[in-house]
Amino acid sequence: MHTFPYLVVLLCIPLFGAGLVGLVGLRAPQAARVLALAATALELVFAVALLVAFKTHVGTFQFESTHTWMAPLGISFSLGVDGISLFLVLLTALIVPIVILGTSVGEKATGYLAWLLLLQGASVASFVSLDLMLFFFAFELTLVPSYFLIVKYGHERRAYAATKFFVMTFLGSAFLLVGILVLAFQHQNQTGVLTFSLAALQHTTLSSGLAVWLSLAFLVAFGVKAPIFPLHTWSPTTYREAPEGGSMVLSAILAKLGTYGILRFNLTLFPHASKTLAPLVLTLAAIGVLYGAITASGQHDMKRLIAYSSLAQVGFIILGTFSFSPQGLTGAVTMMVNHGIITAAFFMLIGWIAQRRGSFDTAVLKGLQGPVPVLAGVFTVTMLASIGLPGLNGFVGEFLVLIGTFTTHRWWAVVATTGVVVAAMYLLWNYQQVFHGKADAETETMHDLTTKERLTIAPLLALIVLLGVYPKFMLDRIEPSVHRELAGITAAAPATAIQTHHVTFTSPVGGAR
Amino acid sequence: MNHLALPTVSYAALAPILFLLLGGVALMVLSALSRRPLAAGTVTGYSVLIGFGALISALAEYGHVNGAGPSSTVASAIAVDGFSAAIAVTVSVVVILASLLSHGYLRRMQIDAPAYHVLALTSASGAIIMAAANDLVVLFLGLEILSIALYVLAALNRRSAKSEEAALKYFILGGFSSAIFLFGIAFTYGATGSTNLQVITRTLGEGVAAKPGLLLAGLGLLLVGFFFKVAAVPFHLWTPDVYEGAPTPVTGFMAAAAKVGGFAALLRVLLTAMPQLSTNWTPVVYSVAVATLIGGAVLMVVQRDAKRMLAYSSINHAGFLLVGIVAATSAGISADLFYLFTYSVTALATFGIVTMLAGPRDDDAGIDRLSGLARRHPAIGAAMAILLLAQAGVPFTTGFIAKFSVIEAVVGHGSIPLAIIAMASAAVAVFAYLRLVATLYRTEDIATVDLGYDDSLTDGPAAFAIGLSVVVTIFFGIFPAALLDFGRTAVAHLLP
Amino acid sequence: MSIPLSWFIILATLLFGIGAFGVLVRRNVLVMFMCVELMLNAANLALVAFARSLNDVGGETTVFFVLVVAAAEVVVGLGIVVAIFRRRHSAVADELSEMGG
Repeated sequence: MHTFPYLVVLLCIPLFGAGLVGLVGLRAPQAARVLALAATALELVFAVALLVAFKTHVGTFQFESTHTWMAPLGISFSLGVDGISLFLVLLTALIVPIVILGTSVGEKATGYLAWLLLLQGASVASFVSLDLMLFFFAFELTLVPSYFLIVKYGHERRAYAATKFFVMTFLGSAFLLVGILVLAFQHQNQTGVLTFSLAALQHTTLSSGLAVWLSLAFLVAFGVKAPIFPLHTWSPTTYREAPEGGSMVLSAILAKLGTYGILRFNLTLFPHASKTLAPLVLTLAAIGVLYGAITASGQHDMKRLIAYSSLAQVGFIILGTFSFSPQGLTGAVTMMVNHGIITAAFFMLIGWIAQRRGSFDTAVLKGLQGPVPVLAGVFTVTMLASIGLPGLNGFVGEFLVLIGTFTTHRWWAVVATTGVVVAAMYLLWNYQQVFHGKADAETETMHDLTTKERLTIAPLLALIVLLGVYPKFMLDRIEPSVHRELAGITAAAPATAIQTHHVTFTSPVGGAR
Repeated sequence: MNHLALPTVSYAALAPILFLLLGGVALMVLSALSRRPLAAGTVTGYSVLIGFGALISALAEYGHVNGAGPSSTVASAIAVDGFSAAIAVTVSVVVILASLLSHGYLRRMQIDAPAYHVLALTSASGAIIMAAANDLVVLFLGLEILSIALYVLAALNRRSAKSEEAALKYFILGGFSSAIFLFGIAFTYGATGSTNLQVITRTLGEGVAAKPGLLLAGLGLLLVGFFFKVAAVPFHLWTPDVYEGAPTPVTGFMAAAAKVGGFAALLRVLLTAMPQLSTNWTPVVYSVAVATLIGGAVLMVVQRDAKRMLAYSSINHAGFLLVGIVAATSAGISADLFYLFTYSVTALATFGIVTMLAGPRDDDAGIDRLSGLARRHPAIGAAMAILLLAQAGVPFTTGFIAKFSVIEAVVGHGSIPLAIIAMASAAVAVFAYLRLVATLYRTEDIATVDLGYDDSLTDGPAAFAIGLSVVVTIFFGIFPAALLDFGRTAVAHLLP
Repeated sequence: MSIPLSWFIILATLLFGIGAFGVLVRRNVLVMFMCVELMLNAANLALVAFARSLNDVGGETTVFFVLVVAAAEVVVGLGIVVAIFRRRHSAVADELSEMGG
């Protein structure tokens, strides 16, 4: 069957767009902005078309296309999308135009726009590649635009932040590359074929020791990107010092590359080893949830606060992933998307506040409720979604993750629940500090959201509500792929725990539907 | 009266060497005989033509070897195989690009154009001789032809005191390392009874080398000589000074040709003549590779001068090439061939851009001079950015494929820690490259000072060569299959 | 009675060592230069000694090549030294400090 090559188009638009924006921007910076918006809008249109064309209740990869490429090295150009990656592609397509609309870096923005587009292209490529080396290419390629976004458009300590981010992530990927190569050579020794195709490498026989080492190598790379405690140390600094658009993209999209990588590659390639490592990873995730929540409550800087709260959220995602239960995995995927939406909204709102008031400091920001009621209202909704208020999108994933983890790893779920409580506390407390109380003279003169800003944040707000009241839309597409993923794990590791829960899985999210 | 037994010489197989060497000599004679100084354009054109001649004959040799298999000529002193042909192709490309890149510079600096080109052609022929040498004595001669011409080239810029100083440093340390190398040849000869690589490997294979101590001393001395030449840590101390002081196009040529020649010879000696001793040399090469990878990358970060930074960058690249040698498989050799070709092209073009920015005396290549380049001259800035990213090994450039295939080879060989160290050093190096790229795109304080290079940026031949290199870098970065196959076929026809 | 091979080799190694030491510690460029020549000639001595003991002319012919190479090096090296001397009236390596290293 000949289908429209959605994925290739989704790759090409931002990549060529980046080049075009770079060239046009030399002569006409204003035109570059329009062009960048047009490219991202087109990308979004095709992403939505992909969503429409995507067959629900199919767990396998769709729109697969494989071409030979760099045959001597065994690398192929192999793309495909399933329920797990579909919404991440959509998220990427959605966030970038909003970043372009909602943030500005002054007159000379050509580089900013071009880097954003390149980053979008590389992220989409990572989400849809079914060849490990192609994934690695794209995964590495995201580093270059991220580095430049931070180092050229960031705040005071941008050079330090960019360096820390870059060096840590790159060191992580060193392990990933070597891990991929070792795996491919194992496969070559067994079959005589050098390939990096996910489908082929999945069936490599590995001794349990080697599998654990490889799994760790992958985990380190993805764990830095995600970030998982204790590999997170770059993230507060980087999120703080990056420009608001950069923080949005970093936390909403790039962080998901890490969690996606774990779900897609660690679980698929090393099912046994992942189960062996599960107690370790779950513990780290639970520590991440608690540590993130507690540290967040001590922050005076709004951006750092969101950075630490992101750490807690990522902890939840990892928790769901390593629960090996259908609910947990579905919850993890849902949460990746929802956290992306919420955190993007947070960083954009904080950026707008700082634009008006010139500070990220909660000690300076007081009593915003009065002068800027609309902004305060939007912030409230975002915050409630982040806390996990039922009816808003943050709830669905968190709930599923807790259910899933509780069924398989009870105590970790209990610890994580404490995290939810702390998270609610610090966000509400912070909210109270910033928005209530008496506004000082300077705050009184702040103006509320402009029409353009309202329109920019509207899609995010709409999704926060819609995905909260009607999560079935996403779950219908995610669940089949999650089942397929788990079936693979179960087949590889006939552990009893999984099978029982596989059977009992009906629909524990009834409440949320 | 005995007849002198003359060896049979296959001139067709020597054609790339002869083109360059005789082309250089002919140019020298012509410029000496002509009444008026030869026009710079004529000389550059001549040199490019000679380079093309060498390239075509090298490709012909490659095709011939593919059909007829590897052989040797001149009493088995010169190897006629895919490996030497592939290196000859690389060196010819280096000659063509280097000629184009130097054209405008020689005019601006009022350097005698024939002198530069004669020396460059001669030196390049030395690099090919090193790669084709099937006898340690021929290897030594190739090394000296390469080096002696480079000593003079380094001294060519009479406007800068640094140039002579660089030449002197290069000369003393070059002579020192050549002497060590020669002493190594003497010991190897004493231990195995021959300087011919096939005879040596046969002797080693039969286990009749009676003097293991002598043999190992010879191997050690040869290795030290090589490590000096290819600038491996801790034998690299001359490199940054020489790279900084030499005229910038010469630095580029040196970075490409000397490294190609040195590594080609090192690969051939270790992997075809002395594979039996690999248990002895692998640990040495391994540890030097680690030192070179880390030293090059770390010291690169702290440099304030573009040429010094690129010197350390070339040291880091040398580390990657050594990793390919540790792999000691045909995958490792072909990875190194790919690496040498792509590195030569990107390094030459990078130095080509630094040449354009040299200013009137070419004695200051501070990184500040590059600040905001991309704002003043977007095309050249973008080319520089792409070349630096390629050296950094960013995906979709040749640099990535080169690093990747080397690491693939060494993981296939089983040296996983070395692969991780190589990647970690790449991480540090990439950071330094990216910082330089960020400098290119600095918006602050540009167009306020005259750096004395704006007119030199309209240097046509250099711009053409740089453009060509960028195209090669990106094209083979996205479609590397053809070039990788070229290297593999070359290694498949390696004289055993 | 002939002198055993090892004596020649020990002598060659000693000469080589003296040369190498000289290059590394002496600061006068001309002396460093002479030390390099000493190293080359030590190698020549070793080559000739080995050739005699192996009964093979290969080593001896190599020496001729080395002599030519050494002569070429002398020409180039002295040329560079003279050029520097003209500029600075000194041939001491320590006084060459335009560059950092």
